[in-house]
Amino acid sequence: MKQSTTSNVDVKGALVKKGAFHGFLTSSPIALLPLFLFLLVFFLWPIGALTGNAFKSNEGAFTFSNVTMLFQDPYRMAFKNSITLGLLSGLVGAIPGLAIAMAIEKQGNQTLKKFIASISGVLANTGGVPLAFMFLAAFGPAGLVISALKSVGLDLYGLGFTLFSFTGLIIVYAYFQIPIMVIVITPALTSLRKEWKDSAANLGASKFQYWQKVGLPILMPSFIACYLLLFASAFSAFATARALTVGNIALVPLQIGALVDGNVTINQANLGYALAFGMIIISLVAMIPYIWIQNRTARWQVR
Amino acid sequence: MASAMKKNFAANLVLIVTGIFIFFPLYAATEFSLRNGAEHTHGFAAYRWIFAQSGFIENLGITLRVTSLAVVLNLLIMVPTVTWLHLSGQRYKRLVEILTILPLIFPVVALATGAQLAMPDFMQNSVYELSFFYVVIAMPYTYRALDIGLSGHPLSTITNAARNLGASWLKTLSSVVIPTIRPSILAALFLMVALSLGEFTLAQLLHWSTFPVWVTNVSQQNVIGATALAIGSLFFAWILLFGFSFLGSKNSTTVQEEE
Repeated sequence: MKQSTTSNVDVKGALVKKGAFHGFLTSSPIALLPLFLFLLVFFLWPIGALTGNAFKSNEGAFTFSNVTMLFQDPYRMAFKNSITLGLLSGLVGAIPGLAIAMAIEKQGNQTLKKFIASISGVLANTGGVPLAFMFLAAFGPAGLVISALKSVGLDLYGLGFTLFSFTGLIIVYAYFQIPIMVIVITPALTSLRKEWKDSAANLGASKFQYWQKVGLPILMPSFIACYLLLFASAFSAFATARALTVGNIALVPLQIGALVDGNVTINQANLGYALAFGMIIISLVAMIPYIWIQNRTARWQVR
Repeated sequence: MASAMKKNFAANLVLIVTGIFIFFPLYAATEFSLRNGAEHTHGFAAYRWIFAQSGFIENLGITLRVTSLAVVLNLLIMVPTVTWLHLSGQRYKRLVEILTILPLIFPVVALATGAQLAMPDFMQNSVYELSFFYVVIAMPYTYRALDIGLSGHPLSTITNAARNLGASWLKTLSSVVIPTIRPSILAALFLMVALSLGEFTLAQLLHWSTFPVWVTNVSQQNVIGATALAIGSLFFAWILLFGFSFLGSKNSTTVQEEE
């Protein structure tokens, strides 16, 4: 804070025209107004409207009946599936993602680091039909991997494997989950200061001891936080699930899509809002620890 | 040299396995997309099929226009806000950090259904409503890209230096702040474009026909053609995005010469 007061004094002392950019001098939060308004209109308002309608009957009266429907099948089943998918897909993304981020840090090649950062940004946003068809070409019934394995006598589809299954979804999701992990865990790795490693070594710690007593304990909160983020990502993925499943796996985002897409009778729209509300509650339960952990780790991270 | 290679053996192994995991599906899909139907020959028939489909140019145009507006909105809102946070609003950083993570917490499906309920007709009647929501759902990424980029520079020191040397605020912004943070701005735009080019959920649930929605619809007619489209749209996005990151790294080294 002190710095900005000084800069105000500097400004008054210098030969300055106070013009259009006067706003940058202010330390009053009015500068945040555009961001606040934008989020209010295009984010909080829709979410609020959705929450309100989750508790409305078709006649517009207040009711809990939409929300209590969530505890009955098929919706209960869909929530169970989506949560399991989030938990497993989170692990399948988080562990290799951490290994890759650590490998990049260790390698220390700046060009490689930049390249991986760019490619991760693209892959993290790959999804839907393009992603589904890529994996079909590799792991589909006539895919390259499957045909190659068949020619050496291993018939995966004969053994019950199929890409259009829960396992298939987890494999395909890994293609965007791992890059997300690389993006979100890298700042935590970068903040493991070299000095700590050096001081541990100077005090006689082995590499293993460094990781056991210093590295991992510091990294653990960030790792859990990033895992929760991946959970939320897989839990709410819509495009890829829609492209890959054929109604054989009940998932909440797909049910919402069907209910509000106009394919069903209009009086079920409020049920769709209740389902979306249920998703928000579960995501919040997962993400509140994320925010809390990030707040704590921010204390020692290099900023 | 040999010991350095040994030291990095595990790291290199992880990176090689990663490379295979990333590129193998791409390779398999590219090979598949070049097949000529049932014959065992390869060619570009499936790619010619894409251009013969109606709606290709129109939907690509819509997506590019929606993306452009999203990029402009993102610039106008995020760049001044983050610059201000670094210059004189440090104590509001935690608040903004929590606010900008929110779109990651609330599922896009929920935002889409809420938008249907809340947005007035004039918004719902224009495909450009998507741009506004894309800025929101990209915010967790764009905010962080800008924040990390700006943290690497002693922004308040260099602005104070410029001010003390008599530069006006306008001059300080245009000649000192913006050139310094240009790589971060490009990184944020890069993420915005990546998200906007492939976004399907909002477009589909708000009943707009964008390029990803069109791809999904025409895919149902022709498997090889759909794979060609998948590969084509991925490579199109990659070329665009690598152009962006190239621009970013080039500018960061030529800042001094330009000004």
